[in-house]
Amino acid sequence: MNDEATSNADRDDDTTDFGYTRVDREAKAGMVRGVFDSVASRYDLMNDLMSGGVHRLWKRFTIELSAARPGQTILDIAGGTGDLAARFSRLVGPEGQVILADINAAMLEVGRDRLIDKGATGNIEVVQADAQALPFKDNSVDCITIAFGLRNVTDKALALRSMLRVLRPGGRLLVLEFSKPTSALLGKVYDQYSFQILPAMGRLIAQDADSYRYLAESIRKHPDQETLLGMMEDAGFGECRYHNMTGGVVALHQGFKP
Amino acid sequence: MTQHDPALLSAALAGAEQALNQAISLAPHSHQELDAVSGTLLGIEVTSLDLTVYIEMVTGTDVRLMAHCERETDAFVRGTLEDFAALATSNDPAATLINSGIELQGSSASLITLQQVIARMEIDWEAPLVDILGDVAGHQIAEGLRRFFRWGEGARASLKRQVSEYLLEEGRLTPPKAELEHFYDAVQSVAMRVERAQSQVEKLLAKAAARETPQ
Repeated sequence: MNDEATSNADRDDDTTDFGYTRVDREAKAGMVRGVFDSVASRYDLMNDLMSGGVHRLWKRFTIELSAARPGQTILDIAGGTGDLAARFSRLVGPEGQVILADINAAMLEVGRDRLIDKGATGNIEVVQADAQALPFKDNSVDCITIAFGLRNVTDKALALRSMLRVLRPGGRLLVLEFSKPTSALLGKVYDQYSFQILPAMGRLIAQDADSYRYLAESIRKHPDQETLLGMMEDAGFGECRYHNMTGGVVALHQGFKP
Repeated sequence: MTQHDPALLSAALAGAEQALNQAISLAPHSHQELDAVSGTLLGIEVTSLDLTVYIEMVTGTDVRLMAHCERETDAFVRGTLEDFAALATSNDPAATLINSGIELQGSSASLITLQQVIARMEIDWEAPLVDILGDVAGHQIAEGLRRFFRWGEGARASLKRQVSEYLLEEGRLTPPKAELEHFYDAVQSVAMRVERAQSQVEKLLAKAAARETPQ
């Protein structure tokens, strides 16, 4: 178990993790916003760089596991540039609804423009929202997805409880997030890649090594598979399970509102 | 937990889906046939690979491949890779479906339609080539591709015929099909005669035993 991650993520003091640094809880949201403000316009490029394009496959499986169907309401938290929302929009059809939510206005702006460019507008609502206090009615959403967003949330337990409240009974939560490689060898290669190659790429391509270093550090501080599973169960989700992908580099957690 | 890494499977399915949809978009005659089965969901379990794939016919021009699906399938087939290869290349899919080891649940109609559309798919290479290269060069290259595929088809048929002739006539490694069928018929006929003789013998033995039994 990732003890450090667990203890640091939701420790009962006034500080929290910002990568490997401890910062005031109140300050973290602003600092994360700073990172994403600086990368918003290059976010998709950054994802492609970080994952070698594999993030598209991870998201494809997330869409499959959502079992989204016409008429449903889907909430995509930390929806970034709207790639999941665009695909959900086609699946739920004109009688359904997709809510693209993100705490960061710059990301939402990029996402909204991309969705308009793709012609996905009729059934999509764009909302600036904090995952810890979702501004939606109780029992109003069939499925919530949060892809590569939970690790940036200050109080993950609070966010999970907020998601549970918004979900309809029987509704599902899907958390797609970087996790812990299942093989020690892969873990070493992954560490080298994250702390040597990734910041260098950030410096060369985006002239922003610090943001890339924060992303690598925040991944290491995020709860591992079993810890996150326990957090979902503690929040009140039932039938929780996870699928490791790419050797555990990423895990997709699933839980249902009882 | 899933048996296969979902990311690997997603990669394979994403590639296959793109290739299939590209092929369908270039084969306009298939659209109407696929439209007739739009909305249909097929499940295919390849037991030898421990793999299940779902095929959703979204519209006449859009097919979706999935590794995970919770909707009830219209048809679900289960078999080995060899069984499915035989079905995919069969001239008579209905007969292959019945005679092979494939288990089928649900309606076979949509499965057979899909197999026939894929088998008959004639890809129009000219349209995308003309779009990219213009009328003259696009047409010439498409004509060259058509000639190449016709030659490939002819070469394949010719090779198959020559291999068959060699095995039968030159190498005498296998008997001719008619001779083999005649042999099977003869074996069947002998088996039936033996069965009849056996039942006659049993009848006679029973009669003899009855006579010998004191009244």
